[in-house]
Amino acid sequence: MIMEMLYIAVMRFLYSVPILVVAIFSAHLISTFISRERVESFLRKTERNILGASLIGLVTPGPLAPYLPLLRVLKKRGLSLSVVAAFITSQTLVGPMRAFLEVDFFGVPFFALRVVISFLTALGVGAFYHAFGNHIGLDVSATSKEEEDK
Amino acid sequence: MVEKSRAVRKAKEICKNSIRDMRTIFPAFFVATLISVMLDFFIPEELVYAVLGENPVLSIVLATVLGIILPIPRYATYPIALSLLQKGATIGTIFALISGEVIIGSPDRDVMEFSYFGWKSFVLRGTLCTIFVIIGSLIVEAIL
Repeated sequence: MIMEMLYIAVMRFLYSVPILVVAIFSAHLISTFISRERVESFLRKTERNILGASLIGLVTPGPLAPYLPLLRVLKKRGLSLSVVAAFITSQTLVGPMRAFLEVDFFGVPFFALRVVISFLTALGVGAFYHAFGNHIGLDVSATSKEEEDK
Repeated sequence: MVEKSRAVRKAKEICKNSIRDMRTIFPAFFVATLISVMLDFFIPEELVYAVLGENPVLSIVLATVLGIILPIPRYATYPIALSLLQKGATIGTIFALISGEVIIGSPDRDVMEFSYFGWKSFVLRGTLCTIFVIIGSLIVEAIL
């Protein structure tokens, strides 16, 4: 039985390899167009814009960890914490690589619905974060560096 | 000429990074595939249906919590989720499992988020995200 299980697992894995390869290459190809610098410039323009941050998060490829130091710097320069929360939420929920795998495993309607709901989730997290953050001692307001200096 | 060499350099970088990712993703994906086959062999359909299919609301909450606490690597959720779906789990439950899996990510990411923005921010975002994932999964359950 163990051999049978291994055989089935290997066959299923081999069946998934092409889509995995396409997904990984596509994610890296997209990341050359949506570079960290480009994400930074977009986020700079969305100091208080939860909607914009959620949209940027949806199309930003790769893991979140490389973007966290950038978010920290932008937060110090005035990016609202609720925008940071919206970006983190949408960036982690959806990604270009997930698109290929999800469509392959569960079909287009499932993936389309997941993108829409993830976007709404990020919006909701950002908005509620903004509403509740102040009550638990978080400074969610966007303050520019000039305001801070004053 | 300069443009061409830049394009070649970029292509090489894409290949190098992709191969580096494959080295980590492929083993995790194979293990997840093996787990999904084991689920097929050892877990009866009735059990999966009773836990993750009979009561959609409870199933969705349970799947979200499982997604958060289980240390499933990124992308490795899919084979397991597909296996559960074929065994009788509802589509909303699968949505909750996949979405819940990313609420708490890898330890390095969580430690960074925790130290950069504070524990209050981390907990508030995680809580809100969990609530919205549960609501979203119920919507998926109703639509699909």
